[in-house]
This record gives sequence, structure tokens and C-alpha cells, in this order.
Amino acid sequence: MADNDHYKKEEDEDEEELDDSNYIAQKDAVLFAIDISKTMLTPPPPSDDKKAEKDSPAIAAIKCAYQIMQQRIISSPKDMMGVLLFGTEQSKFQDEDSSSRGSATYPHCYLLSDVDIPAAKDVETLREIVRNADEGNKEELLEPAKEPVSMSNVLFCANQIFTTRAPNFGSRRLFIITDKDDPHGADKTLRNQATVRAKDLYDLGVVIELFPISHSDHEFDRSKFYDDIIYRDPADGVDFAIAPPNFKAQGDNGLSLLSNLIAEINSKEVAKRSIFSHLPFEIGPNLKISVKGYNLLQKQAPARKGYVYEKGEEFVWAESNTTKFEEGPVAREVGKVDIKKAYTFGGKQIEFTLEEQKALKNFGPPVLRIIGFKPQSLLKIEHSVKKSTFIYPSEEDYIGSTRVFAALWKKLVKSKVMGVAWYIGRANASPLLVAILPSEERFDDNNVQVVPAGLWLYPLPFADDIRGVGTLPKKITASNELTQLMWKVVQQLQLPGGVYNPSKFPNPSLQWHYKILQIMALHDEVPEGDPEDKTKPKNKQIHKRAGSLINDWKKKLDEEVLQFQKERYGGIDGTDLKRGSDGNDDDEPPKKRIKAEKNEEVLTDISSGDLKKMVQRGELKKRLVGEMRDWLKVKGLTATGKKEVLIDRIEQWVEEH
Amino acid sequence: MSKEATVYVLDLGSTMGDCHSGRVETDLEYAMRYVYDKMADSLAVGRVGLNTGVVAFRTDETDNPLGDDEGYANISVLQQLVPMTMAQFNDLRTKITPSETEGGDAISAIIVAMDMIEKKTTLKTGKPGKWARKIILMTDGQGSIEDDHLEDIVTRIKEMGVELTVLGVDFDDLEFGFKEEDKSSVKKENEALLRKFTEDCDGLYGTALQAIKDLAIPKVKEFRPYSMYTGRLCLGNPETNPDESIYINVKRFSQTKIARPVAAKSYVMRSGGEASTQSSYTLPGDVEMTDAPTEFSAVKQGRSYTIKDPSDALGKRDVDFEDLARGYEYGRTAVHISQSEENVTSLNALRDFSILGFIPIDKYEKYFTMGESCMTIAQTVDDKSRLAFSSLVHALYELESYAIARIVVKDMKDPRIVLLAPYIENHMEGLIDVPLPFAEDVRMFRFPPLDRVISASGTALEKHRYLPSNNLDSAMSDYVDSMDLSTFGMDDEGNPAEYMEVDDTFSPIVHRINQAIRQKAIYDGDISEPAEILTKWSEPPTELVTINASKLESLIAAADVKKVPPKVKGKRNRREIITPLSGLDVDALLKGNKPKKISKENAIAEFKQILEDAESDNAVLNAVNQMSDIIRDLIKGSTGDSDFDRAQENIKVLREEMVDYEFPGYYNNFFKDLRKRLMKGELGGRRQEFWVNLKKARLGLIDNTALPTSDVSPEEATEFWLLSTELPTRGREN
Repeated sequence: MADNDHYKKEEDEDEEELDDSNYIAQKDAVLFAIDISKTMLTPPPPSDDKKAEKDSPAIAAIKCAYQIMQQRIISSPKDMMGVLLFGTEQSKFQDEDSSSRGSATYPHCYLLSDVDIPAAKDVETLREIVRNADEGNKEELLEPAKEPVSMSNVLFCANQIFTTRAPNFGSRRLFIITDKDDPHGADKTLRNQATVRAKDLYDLGVVIELFPISHSDHEFDRSKFYDDIIYRDPADGVDFAIAPPNFKAQGDNGLSLLSNLIAEINSKEVAKRSIFSHLPFEIGPNLKISVKGYNLLQKQAPARKGYVYEKGEEFVWAESNTTKFEEGPVAREVGKVDIKKAYTFGGKQIEFTLEEQKALKNFGPPVLRIIGFKPQSLLKIEHSVKKSTFIYPSEEDYIGSTRVFAALWKKLVKSKVMGVAWYIGRANASPLLVAILPSEERFDDNNVQVVPAGLWLYPLPFADDIRGVGTLPKKITASNELTQLMWKVVQQLQLPGGVYNPSKFPNPSLQWHYKILQIMALHDEVPEGDPEDKTKPKNKQIHKRAGSLINDWKKKLDEEVLQFQKERYGGIDGTDLKRGSDGNDDDEPPKKRIKAEKNEEVLTDISSGDLKKMVQRGELKKRLVGEMRDWLKVKGLTATGKKEVLIDRIEQWVEEH
Repeated sequence: MSKEATVYVLDLGSTMGDCHSGRVETDLEYAMRYVYDKMADSLAVGRVGLNTGVVAFRTDETDNPLGDDEGYANISVLQQLVPMTMAQFNDLRTKITPSETEGGDAISAIIVAMDMIEKKTTLKTGKPGKWARKIILMTDGQGSIEDDHLEDIVTRIKEMGVELTVLGVDFDDLEFGFKEEDKSSVKKENEALLRKFTEDCDGLYGTALQAIKDLAIPKVKEFRPYSMYTGRLCLGNPETNPDESIYINVKRFSQTKIARPVAAKSYVMRSGGEASTQSSYTLPGDVEMTDAPTEFSAVKQGRSYTIKDPSDALGKRDVDFEDLARGYEYGRTAVHISQSEENVTSLNALRDFSILGFIPIDKYEKYFTMGESCMTIAQTVDDKSRLAFSSLVHALYELESYAIARIVVKDMKDPRIVLLAPYIENHMEGLIDVPLPFAEDVRMFRFPPLDRVISASGTALEKHRYLPSNNLDSAMSDYVDSMDLSTFGMDDEGNPAEYMEVDDTFSPIVHRINQAIRQKAIYDGDISEPAEILTKWSEPPTELVTINASKLESLIAAADVKKVPPKVKGKRNRREIITPLSGLDVDALLKGNKPKKISKENAIAEFKQILEDAESDNAVLNAVNQMSDIIRDLIKGSTGDSDFDRAQENIKVLREEMVDYEFPGYYNNFFKDLRKRLMKGELGGRRQEFWVNLKKARLGLIDNTALPTSDVSPEEATEFWLLSTELPTRGREN
């Protein structure tokens, strides 16, 4: 079984199955560098508007880091994050005690939490500051330095943090949150030093992202200083950039600075990691362009469960090491090279060499090749097997890819057409057939892009992937009247905006899991009451808005059921049915019937009236456990337990109905 | 799964050794293509309940339980009804050869087969067991067939519930479109007789050609309907507002499930010279099954646990399993959970299937679908639910709406959000559901729009090299329209139909592996190319492409796509000037200030900067030497693996730069020296892990495929890793 589980896991991780070098490139480390200056610590002027900003920019930035940290623990548990305050009176670097300037390596740089996978205590540190701020307590840390901080120092400090903590991370980013567009003014030396340190960061492979904050009386001007220290990879397409962000200390768009910061950081939060690049996209024979692929949808699950060692000073993860050995009288340990892969066929092991195994999986080099086009309406909703991959053009291999891609996208949108294509996403991936669907750009209420324009590779099922419900009895169709009563219910209960908006539905299990883990890690109290679950139906609203309509429908339904049963089984009100010997020939009897041959009819077939009588006469206990289980299942009740328990449960139901 | 008894009744008459209809293989070889393939199917499944028997007629000898009376002469049972093994299969193949005789009656052979089936499938009580019974007759129809008592046999076959299939070599089948010219009168009569007999038995009758052709169509494994939820579908709360809520008894089945290729298992060659021992074991089906001599043993796994311990020379030490407890990760903090609290983090959701609300069909984008679909139907025994369900399905259908629902398939399982779509077919009504993403599952990165370009100043441009011209737009539109597949296929009646429907597509990987296993097991052949049908959909249909060649040409012309020339290597003397956004010449600032000596702290940036300015090979070499010292220093000074990553990153940069500047020798010398030092233990003990990391990161010698000026071949580069076992190994692993 262990073997099976192993394979299952491998399959699940199909998409993540990238080679090691790629994997390294996927890891991301982010350092928040938050400016702690007087202006950053000044809260906006009081306002009557309830929504108005109350936090100072520095506090908003720390709150933002606090939220992002908790979010990253859930959404990218392998990635690192750190928080550096600069311009503080106190200074502290890795393994240093906080000290005033003089002895400090990087004066006025306070490393609040070092770049690492966040630990509970990092969350706690941030939370303390946030709490203090909310309660109006003075926070000693947030004391601006009396002299100007040297940006070159800050940048070199960041350099050292990345060099030592995340040396081989493919993505390393420095998020600078500041309101000072010209930290060194006319001081050329300091300015030049900073520019040189910025170039070091560039050479090291660290990307600087600036989150500039403007005050009502001062618009942040990037060209004064920051354009000299920020680099962009020309391969990213400079003239293809999205307009740079700019924040207002007093909030913007009716949202607080905090919300604006979080929204912006969230869009940058996950480094834009492509799952593949250089993929040739063959739109027709001899017409190739290049595209990159992105995982915009990724099912999040709780991070692994493992074993911890309890006997040490603190709990540490135990690493598991597997050894393989030969099954048999002598458990000889075997090495990787000894192990052969074989399939069982007719009781015999059919072995394939490594080369053969490779050859079997090889259907040619990676490609996305269009076979033709179909109307989008031919894509049936049941033909879905796994999530789609987003693709976007890149000029890396073919100049002109973007315009051709854009032309194809436009056509697919306009004519509601989809491409169908043969798709091998990376070397040795199993080929898939995909539909190519266009997405139009969509924005949320705050004009933030929520769906980008591009194409999606929607995997199509093969004949092998189709299952079914088996043979069914002849269908019963509701009357138009009944259906129309249902119309009203459906019309009345549209979701807000008529759309499913995922952002309104956090995964309740995931949230609860991490909430409890956080509580345990921080030794907090477990809250009273039920866990929050935003996926539960809003029943009160449903009853309020459609209760009476549902009631109308129910009355009509009862009428129709009687009518139907009368026609089908005879009798005046359809209650004296003989359903065990359902006379309808083309109505294939369900298989369960067979079991009940000895008994006149099974429980599930008995009308609730008869059932009531049966309960009153105490005849229920003559029935078979299996029947009772079936009945309970049909009613959606728990069907486990001993016979007496089952009888109790049925009796209770009868009483209630 | 039900048990199955299949008997093949094979014609081995001397005429089967001839070749007909322009074939170069004998009729027997030809016919056996089908039979062997079918047998291979049961071998592949390897289920104990699958029993296969073989009766041959027109054999030289007579060997059957019904005696050697005239009627049963020249009939031999080649294999009893038993689960098939490779050994038996190979044995059978030696026996299945054309005989020297013409005598032996096909119908009598069927009776022998019926006898075998009856014996096998009758319960001890005398009643027939629950079995699937099959007889497959394969003949060329050249032997004489007695037509006595055919009705009795028909009756008996029907009574027993035997599924009869008769396949004839070169039998006429007008429906399929095959007719053999110059057919002998005996064969004509036999064909008529067998056809009538088969039809009377409600069996299948056909020509071998068709059966063999059908073999090319991959067999789709059938599954029983798999129920994913049984219970109520609710709208509103039936507990609090029974009159104002809807609850329908439903059952939900899996509708799509990705088929996976069969998995290989791990084996090792059996140790201790037992290679020739024959192991036998008894199967539950009271059949003794002799395994083929096997030289393999299964591989088992054992686990041990270690924790990091900086005080230990290895940086880690073994711990006892008893001292471990379950834990979860909260970031890098291990949250320990005692056994009694095992479920403390689970939501404890209760079984539920409730509608949250409705949305119009056109507001849903299919690319949001997260995975496999299911089909929900009303419970078949509950008329009221069926009517209620029908009205819901029809209302959704008529209003072009979908429902959004929350489902918890069982108590304690995680809630999921699904989209419910109406499904109405002639024979059924249902709700298809597909999973939707939660907030956490969506990671929308921002991408620039495709219909306009935003310039640095923030204005939107409508004309740009990234945007299609009108010419390109219309060429694309024409091309896309011309390649329409919605009517390019053909249905059974020859009418235009959708091309490449799901039913016509087969999982290439699943069937390729099946095919290869079978090929290897039966013919021990090499791996051949994948079957044509598996790659049929890898190219656009040739016919359509040819017709629309001119459209494609216009599109190619309008697109004007150019392949990027391969990167010209050699950064030296062609330095690109990298500037920040402002365009400031940082280099000029650096001039004169550039580091001369590389510091350990800022090694990567300084190394790159020195190289940029290097005027001579010597200057490059000097920088490489400094970097090499720093790398060795890092490795040597590393406690456990603490500085491995950093050293590795420096090596990576060193390698990349040497490839770019075309100095493979400098890197290779460094790397060879590094290996030597690691082996000698000069850089601290137990550095094997570091070597493995380098290998994983592919930081080995620069070979001449990467740089033609390298004097290292790819083989040498690979070889270079292998010798790593000479590294000082860690005590424990000896």
C-alpha cells in the first residue's frame, strides 16, 4: 500500500514536478524595508469620515507586513520574509543586540525579523507593535534617528541579509516603503554611494520594488532619487510596464493606506513565477511564437504534517530518511542503482530499462500546437479534469510573438471561439489536449485588475477519463407549472453581482487550520464558538427573500407527486401502492430490490404515512439493518450504529415529519 | 467485480496454415492476433476472477472430457478455465499451430467449452453462480460442421447465459463491407450455418478483419459508477424552516476522473543465487498458480529520523521514533500536537450539500474550473425528489443559470464550493458540478492588457509593435475561421460532425504504457513508436491545412514573426551598459572606485564588476582566483551545511560568468581542484552532501556542448560526478 500512496502523491504533484534547479528558481525571499521617519510616523489629520485613515504611514506599513506575513505562512509556506526598519534611533543586525549607534554595523537599521521562513515569534513581534500602536502605547522602537540615515547603508544591509539568508533563492526582492523621495538631497557623496550599493544589489540579483507614499502637501517624485537605484530587466519589456504605484498617506480611492498597500503588495506578493517559458506555440504549421505559462490557480492545502522531536529545548522537526531493502529472509539494504522498475503482467514482472522508461514517456519536445478551432459553446462543462494554465506571450524566442498572440486573443474573444491544441508543457510531460480560452481583462471595484487578458489552457478529458452514473430508471420530468414556480426562486436568489467572486469565499478549513496553529504557536486562548465559515449558505436571507416562493413551489410539488403516483401506481391518493412489483416495464428496477424479495417492500419505498403506522405498531424492529441504513442514507441521515440506534433515529424522524 | 469464464474455441485445422486474401501470414497467425490480444487483456488485468480456457478443434489428437466418440474426435482442451499467467500463455503459444488434419467439429468444440464453463461456474448447491460466461469461436469455416440438434444447443446456451462470439477468417460481412471472392461451397454453407446459429443464440457474428481492425482502438477501462455523496441537496434550512426550504434526496457520482497509467513497482535482483527457484503460491480462488521463475524481489522501505544538532560533527543526529510527536508547520515553527488533540485544527464540518445562490451562465468563465466533474441525480427510489429535482434542473436550464453550492461529502471532510450546471438528455436529467476556487486558490498576477500598450508616461497607445495591425487582425480572423473543426468530422451516417470529440481521444500515456508492457511481455520486443491513434491529434488535419494553405500564408506574412538569433556568447569587449530607470551611468560613478579585491561579504557583485572592467585574460584569471579562494573558504568554514548554499551560489555565478566570457578552462580548473580538495578532506570533513548539491544544481565541468572551446566532452563531464564515492564518506553510511 505504501507504494501506492507514494504514486498517488507523485501524481498529485504532477505539476510541481520540476527539476531541482528550477525548484530553486521558484523560491522567493522578500525583505520589507520600512522608513521610520518623523513624517512616516505622523498620523493623518483627524477626520469625520469613518473610513478615513487613522494610522501613520509607518504603522500602516507595519500592519501591512504583519498581514502579509500571516498570509504567506498559508499561501507560500516555503518562501522567506523579513522586516527591516530604517531611520530608527536604535540599530540591530543579525545576532546583534540592539544598540545605539557607534558600535552598530548598520547604524539606524533595525532588523525586526531576519529573512527566513516566518516563525511564530516573528508574527508575535509584529503583532506587539501593531497592538501597541492601536492601543496608543509608545513604542520605543519607532523612534526616528536624530541624524539622516545613509541609504547606502540600508542597501548594503539588505545586500548582506540576502547574501547570508537566501543566497540561492531565484527571486529576492526588497520592498522599500518610504515617503522620502530625496533622502540625500544635495549630498553627492552619499547619493553616489547609494547608487553604487544599488548596483551591487542588481548584480546580486535582488530586485527593488518601491512603495512610495505621498502626503497631501507633497507628491512623491521618483526621479529625484529612486530612478537612479531601481533597475528593470530589459527582458521584462520596459515599455510594457503597468503604471507604477503611488500611495497617499491619507488613503485613496475611499480605502485606507493599509488596504491600498496590501492590495498592491498582494499583486506583487507572489513573485510572478512562470511555470514554464520558451514554450513554442504553433498557431499553424510554420507559424510559431513563444509563450510563458503561469499558475494563476493553485489549490492551497495545509502545509505538511510531520514529526517533531519533543525532548530538546524547543520542538524541532525531525527529518525522515528512507532506506530501501530487499524483501525476504535477509533484509539486504539496496541502493538506488540496484532498483529496477517493473510492471506486473500475467503474474510476471516486465522490466524496463531506464532508457526505455524515458522513451515511453517521450512524445516529443514541449509544444503547444493548435489543431483547429471550435465555437466555445462546444466545450461542455462536464468535460473538466483539472485547472487551467494561463499563458502570456514573450518575445524571448520569436520577435513579434506579442502582436500575433494579441491578434489571436482578439479573434477568440470576438467570435467566441476556442482553439484546440496538443500540449506538452515541459520535457517528458504526458501530452494533453487542451482548449484555448481567452480571458478579458476584469477589474474590481477599486479598479485593480483581477483577471488579466490572456489565454488559458483548459485541459480536456480523454475518453479514458469519463465515468458515469450507470443505468437509470426512466426519467420523470416536472410539469411546466412546477418548473416555473422554481424559476421565481432561482431569479430571487441571485448571488451579489450575479457572479461567483472567489475573494468572498476563503477556504474555511484552511483558515481554521492556520488560526488554530497560530493560537497554539503563540500560546493564545482558543476562541469560543464555531469557526468562521463564509461558505455556509445565508439561510436567513434565503428564507426572507424566497421563503414564500419556495412554499408555493412545495405545495405544487405535493400535488404533482400525488397525481404522478396515482397515475403510476393506481389507487385514489397513491398511498396504497404496490411498489415492490413496479409494473412499469421500461422502468428498470433498482438493484436494491433484489435483497427485499422476501419482504413485501423495502423501507425506502414505504410512504411516510405507512412508516408512521409501522412505527406505532412497533414493526420497525422486524426490518433488516441494511434496509434501515438505506432509508437513513436516502434521508441524508447518519446510517451507522447498532440496530437500536438506527430504529431510534428513524422513529425520531417520523415524529418530526 | 464479477467473475468471468471465457473459453476460446480455436480452429487449428490444417487449412489454417494457409495464407489467403493477399496476406503473408497464415490464417491462424492472422486470427490469433485477435485472440492473443484478448488474452493479453486478461493478463494485463491480472484479476483472480478472470478465468480463461482454450479448446481447440481439428487437432491431430483428441483430448477432451467428453470422450473420443466420433462427434468429439479431434477436439483438445489446451487449457482449463484458470486465471491466465504468462507461463501458461507462453505454453499455449507453442501448442497453437496448424495440425495435419481436417476433421473435428466446431459445434462439438463449443459443447466442450459449455461443459467446462458449466463445471466451473456451478455452485456447490447445484445452482449457477454469478458469473459472466463467454465463448469465442475463431475458425476459417473450412471444416465440416454437423447441424444436428442445433436448437437444443441454442436453448442450452441461452439458459446458461453464455455470450457467444463467432469470428471467421475471411467471412463475408456486408455490413462491415467485406466479401471474399471465390469462396468454396463448404465455407459458404458453414458461414450460413454459423451465422444463423449465432443469431439464434443472440450472439455476435463477424469477420476476423473487423475484429482485428477494432484492436487498434484502445480499450477504455470501464469503471463502476462511483458515488461521491448520498443525501440531501438543500436550499434554505429544512431544520428551522421546513416549509420554506427545499430538500431533495440526491446521489452524486464521479463524472470525470483522470486515468493514470499503470504504475511500475520497484524490484531488485534477488540476492544469494536463488535466481532459479520457482515460487508458487495459492490464490484465493482455490486455484494453484505457479509463478514464472522470478529473479526479482520486492523492495521495502524503512525509515529513520534525524534532527539538526549543531553540536554534532555531522550537524545532525539520530533520534528514536518514540521521542517524536505529530506536528504541523506554522511558518518555520513546529507546532506540536499531542495525540489527544489530533483533530484540533480540523474544521469538523458536517455533511452538507446546500445551494448558496444562482448566477447567469454567461457570468461564469470556464477557466475558473478547478478540476474533475461530478453528476448529481435525484435518488431513483424517491418520486417526490425526482420531481422536485427535475423542476430545479429545468428551471436552471430555461433561465440559463448555474447554481453555486457548498458541499461536504462526509462529516469531517473539508467544505468545497461547486458550480452546478443543468444537464438534460433524452434518458436523464442531472446537475453537473465542477469545483470552484477559494480566495486562497487564486493568485492573479497583473499582466499588461493585450489591446493597448501603456507607455512609461501612463498614456495608452493603440499602435505599437506589440499590437496587431488591422492587416494582421483580419488575416488571423480568416485563418481561425478557416480552421473550424465543428463540422470537419463525420458521424456514423456520414454527416458532418464535430471533429475530435472526447470519445475519439485516448490518453496517450495510459495506452502507450499498456501497449509497451504487452509488447515486451509477449514478443519481448523493443519499444516501438506510439500507435498512430495515440498521436492522431498531435497535428492539425492535413486535409484542412492543405485547403487553407493560402490563408495561413497571408497570416504568416502579416505576422512577420522573426526567430531571435541564438545568443551570441562572449560578453567580453561587447559590454552592454546596464543603467537604472533614470539611465544614469553608474559605471562612470564606479570608475576609479571599483573594488580591486573581492570581499567575501559582497563577492558576487564585486566579482561581476571586476570582470566588466577586466582588460586582460590575466585580470579575469585574477578575479577567478580570488573568487575561488572565497568559495573554498566558505566551504571550509561551514558548520554542517550552514554555508553550503552561499558557496554554491558563488560557484554558480563563477560558472555562469565563465560561460559568458568564454573561459571554460578557468572554471574547469577551479572545479577539478575543488573536487580534489573535497576528496582529500582539505575543506572540512563530510562534504559529500555538498558535492551532491552541486550535481543537482548542474554546476559541473563546462563541456564542449556548452562552449565549443571547452576541452571537456559531455561524457567526461558526467563521468566526473561519478567518482564522487571516493569522497570521504560519512561514518554512518559505511
